Amino acid sequence: MKKIIVEKLKYRYPMTGKLALDNLSFTVEQGELIGIIGANGAGKSTLCLALTGLVPHFYRGAYGGKVVIDGLEVIKSEISELALHVGIVFQNPFTQVTGSKLTVYEEIAFGLENMGLDRSEMTARIDEALHLLDISQLKDRDPFQLSGGQMQRMAIASVIAMKPGILVLDEPTSQLDPQGSDEVFKAVRRLAKEGMTVIIAEHKIEKIAAYADRVLVLYNGRLIDFDTPHKIFSRTDLLSYGVPAPVYTQICQALGIQHPRSGTYPVTLEEAYLAMVNQHGDSLC
Amino acid sequence: MKTVKSMSLYVPGNSIIHRLEPITKLIYVMVAGVLPFILPANPTAVLCLAVTLAMLTISKTLTKVIPLTGFTLLVLLSILFIQGLFHEHNQTFLFRFGPFVFFKEGLSYAARISLRVINLLLGISLLSLTTKPSDLIDSLVRRGLSPKIGYVLSSVLQIIPQMAASVNAITDAQRARGLETEGPLIVRAKAFLPLIGPVIMSSLIQARERAMALEVRGFNANRRKTFLRAANQSSRQTTIRILLILILFAAIVWRIFA
Amino acid sequence: MDKRNIWSFRFTTASLVLIPVAIGINYLGKLFANILKLPLWLDSIGTILASLLAGPIVGAVSGAVNNIIFGLTADPISFVYAISSVAIGLVAGILAAKGWFDSFGKMLMAGLVIGVSVAIVSTPLNIIFWGGQTGNLWGDALFALLMAQGMPMWLASFLNEITVDLPDKLVTVFVSTIIFRRLPHQLLHMYRHDDKIETL
Repeated sequence: MKKIIVEKLKYRYPMTGKLALDNLSFTVEQGELIGIIGANGAGKSTLCLALTGLVPHFYRGAYGGKVVIDGLEVIKSEISELALHVGIVFQNPFTQVTGSKLTVYEEIAFGLENMGLDRSEMTARIDEALHLLDISQLKDRDPFQLSGGQMQRMAIASVIAMKPGILVLDEPTSQLDPQGSDEVFKAVRRLAKEGMTVIIAEHKIEKIAAYADRVLVLYNGRLIDFDTPHKIFSRTDLLSYGVPAPVYTQICQALGIQHPRSGTYPVTLEEAYLAMVNQHGDSLC
Repeated sequence: MKTVKSMSLYVPGNSIIHRLEPITKLIYVMVAGVLPFILPANPTAVLCLAVTLAMLTISKTLTKVIPLTGFTLLVLLSILFIQGLFHEHNQTFLFRFGPFVFFKEGLSYAARISLRVINLLLGISLLSLTTKPSDLIDSLVRRGLSPKIGYVLSSVLQIIPQMAASVNAITDAQRARGLETEGPLIVRAKAFLPLIGPVIMSSLIQARERAMALEVRGFNANRRKTFLRAANQSSRQTTIRILLILILFAAIVWRIFA
Repeated sequence: MDKRNIWSFRFTTASLVLIPVAIGINYLGKLFANILKLPLWLDSIGTILASLLAGPIVGAVSGAVNNIIFGLTADPISFVYAISSVAIGLVAGILAAKGWFDSFGKMLMAGLVIGVSVAIVSTPLNIIFWGGQTGNLWGDALFALLMAQGMPMWLASFLNEITVDLPDKLVTVFVSTIIFRRLPHQLLHMYRHDDKIETL
């Protein structure tokens, strides 16, 4: 089932001359984990915003083409209506705390109260979200007293408690330390396994290579390529779009180690290791 | 992250006053504060003041009032002084204190003002000292205050301590970069903009991100909002509230016809 | 600033989130003025910025909430002057819409008008609650002097208030305008709920 359909999407922010998104078309299937990569200013954040309706409803500006989320056309839908289908988590965990709740538990309830859910449904969903993000032990803490990684997981929990089928993450770990960002990636992977469609814009290329089903490359607001990590990272011109391939891929490219049949290069440490063993070890496949 | 002192005068306790619903206390403060302006000022203010003082005593917050009233008492003292000497209707000589001649009209005017202000001040203090601000906002929203205004109020309570906590860090950082924050007035005045400018800028940028985060959590949804926590309601408190409002109406009626 | 109806408004999420930030900025102004030992309050910069960004109503609400919260959590007397804070927000927002913040000359006039408006609103409050005083040492000394000369209380009280308010509001308006002009454009447009989405 097509979860997301993007057709000839164009967007320009108010008071600017350049298109931030320029004629994008692609589709995403239910349950896929999609990585969005590209240099700063390539349009990653804008694309994330466009999938949730914040572009154009919050930012205004000029908009063309269409985005359809779960059968809802974004331009014709309210942000709060879209929020039941697609959730978004931003870079800065701190600014996503509503600032009006005294505990993590109440913070997660914020969106559910706005949805008008009854109390038993609310507590069931909060408990589930706390469990999925592995933050049950933090439920009575003050949201502002959490570490960055904990705060970001609370932000994700707040969003997924609203049960959207799609989760968009805009560089969710860029302001976290390595431990915090590992916590967040583990949580994201768990959600993807539960069947959630996940879109993640990210600079940490090794993580994208390891987790994503498909990778979307943006450059200057245009879609350069949208394919499996192996195909994307085996492109020799990738660096000219401002994105390096994972370090394991680069090593294998330098050593000429590639999959015998597809001709693509390994993208993770594990694959690189296996490929090296296969080429130089005793057993060849 | 730094621990921030929360913004509140609340003194935890379990007295009957603490347990009153915040709205009941709010109505009391309004009625007690307004009555001396409607009924004969002095006796009414004394009566209301006595009730407020009794409640402060019951809630064991009487001593906490003192720091709240310090500055006001100083001003009231100066009012007694200035009005006792210079009030425009001063006629009746009362006493002489060194070079100062005090008059009856001015002093009684100052006394009337002081009683009203202290009455109002202690009333508000009673509410603040025995009520968690978040509980007050919560019950106002349940009683029909727009949840959006409720959000604004509780958000202020969280944002102020955080911003205040950043002040020392900002000042130290700017000093380290050579900003003069001491010396003649002109030097200190010039330091104001470099200190406050960057933090205003970053807090406005953060406000945009927070607005988006709220939007995607249904803040603007036109549905009827529900509450995670159940409200504690008692019919007895409704009676108290109706009684208080009746007293106010009776006072207004008395004022019009008497 | 372009022509648009300043009274047609609704509480968008952006403008609602602006209010607590404005109040925080008010508070920061006060704290920094204290640290630098400046003889002014400078505690309404946020209210004026809110008016410049989102119009008189958001400014006025920022002013009101500011005093209500401080009244409840720090200084009960602050409640009484909520009306003065509302006046700051309203007047600044109206003047901004009329273009009074567009040049530095006009801006000084705006500071003057705001200072006088606040004094007009605060004087009756001072008379009702404090017999005409402000609690400010210099202002009250002037008040005592004028009363001793037999000046009517309302006039002495107004002069008391204005000696305190006028310099403060002039500097506040000056600081707010400088900061407002340095804000990036992307921060400005999001408070204009009446902008239409163009079609590409």
